[in-house]
Amino acid sequence: MFGRYRDTFHQESGDIMVETGSVDGLLTYRRRCEGRTFERILVSKTGEIVINPVEPGSLPKDITDLLMMEFPPMMIEPGATQTVYLKFPVEIGVFIESARDIEVLDIFGLGNQKYTLYGPPADGVIALYCRSAIYPDIPPVEFYREGVMELSIQNLSLEWMEVSCAVFNSVDMMIYYGDFVATSATMRVLSRTLAETDFVDAPLRPGMEKAVELNKARKIPVLNRGHLMEWGH
Amino acid sequence: MAFNVTEILEIPLGIGEITLENILYFTVVLTVGVIIAKIVAINVRRILAERLPKNESELFAKLIYYIIIIWAFVIALPQLKFDLSGLLVAGGVAGLVIGFASQSVVSNLISGLFLMFERPIKLGDNINVADVTGSVEDVRILSTVIKTYDGIYIRIPNEKVFTSNITNYVHNAARRFTYEIRIRYEDDADAAIRIAREVIEKHPFALKNPAPSVFVDNFGEHSVNLTAYIWAPARNWWDVRTDLLWKIKQALEENGIEIPIPQRTVRFVDGLEGKNRGVETNRGEE
Repeated sequence: MFGRYRDTFHQESGDIMVETGSVDGLLTYRRRCEGRTFERILVSKTGEIVINPVEPGSLPKDITDLLMMEFPPMMIEPGATQTVYLKFPVEIGVFIESARDIEVLDIFGLGNQKYTLYGPPADGVIALYCRSAIYPDIPPVEFYREGVMELSIQNLSLEWMEVSCAVFNSVDMMIYYGDFVATSATMRVLSRTLAETDFVDAPLRPGMEKAVELNKARKIPVLNRGHLMEWGH
Repeated sequence: MAFNVTEILEIPLGIGEITLENILYFTVVLTVGVIIAKIVAINVRRILAERLPKNESELFAKLIYYIIIIWAFVIALPQLKFDLSGLLVAGGVAGLVIGFASQSVVSNLISGLFLMFERPIKLGDNINVADVTGSVEDVRILSTVIKTYDGIYIRIPNEKVFTSNITNYVHNAARRFTYEIRIRYEDDADAAIRIAREVIEKHPFALKNPAPSVFVDNFGEHSVNLTAYIWAPARNWWDVRTDLLWKIKQALEENGIEIPIPQRTVRFVDGLEGKNRGVETNRGEE
């Protein structure tokens, strides 16, 4: 389903159906996903439809840029680095592109989202919540529902650290897709309460294609500065 | 022939006792004043750009610009042999009059500045201030504009905003709301708690952390009263509150747990016979 389409097309996979076709003489984009539908008339001669995985956090409503990944606690000795694999929720973005411009047409996804507060009620921030097991290798995933995050955790402090969650700014997320959807991230543990997280712009496997990012289509300038976790990990 | 600059500067220009030196000094002071005013105004504009709407930051920058120029003009004016004492007396009297007249304006202006720097409210925040509830549309130099939930425009002077208790409903990222859920005495309270928790768990904006809490709070006259505490993003809490309540009610009913209708059991001291006897007695009297 991921890829570029011109004119009319029809793609169906499980609970997802995406197509463009002529309705009453008008070119119409239609999508059905787990019973929810979306329809938009397209006025375009040269436009292309681009479908690819996008950074999570737009569903059911875009209320935050933060993504909180919770996983079983692990103890990391001072100075140690460990690379693990996690599963993260994938949303599917549909873009309409012409020679001059690209615009978000539709965002949908399988499954339910859950949000959480990271930090205390007075100062905390809302984040999209996701729980994953820890995998030593790339785990099998449901293609349109989940992606694989390669997370490199580095303990830069002088103490043993327990790490059970990582909070990312999904605006910085770079997604690649091929046989599966993937992203790479780093986490640098600085102290018991502080950690820095960031994404790496590199495919997990050679030959993976880079996904069009939502912020690029929304023309939101992004300074990749990572995220500073201030309320523990 | 010797060229003496001092002599040239002291040549009278024929306008009273004003010399070329006086004119030069006046020009330099005024020019320096204009340069300082421009630098200060540019910086004020830049600092206020994110804190104030463009028209107000522009107004404020212009105000400061002209104040500095007037100040430079007053400093330079004695060089033109202009007697400022008369002006000061007139200015003092005028200042007194203007001061009394603009007392509330100045008070609102100062309050507005404090509001802008303290920032207890921001544009779009849902607040309650001076018994007005709504969302902040604009924070101006002299007043704050609030749009009530009925869509009414209300302008509140900044002095009133500053001196009132301000409740900002969205200052914190999350807020808690409460449901009271009543079930019948014969219903299983544990099952009701489990079902309510499941419904809350499924809602994306009922926050995972702080975790929701559902428990038997008290025994009412007609019902067992459960209380549910749920945290939601502050900007979406109303949607969550209205959405979840009905879903909980539906889920409880699907599982045979119902909201009780108030009812009262009346017991007669000597059973129904007493009632029948009373009816018969009444008929006999007829």
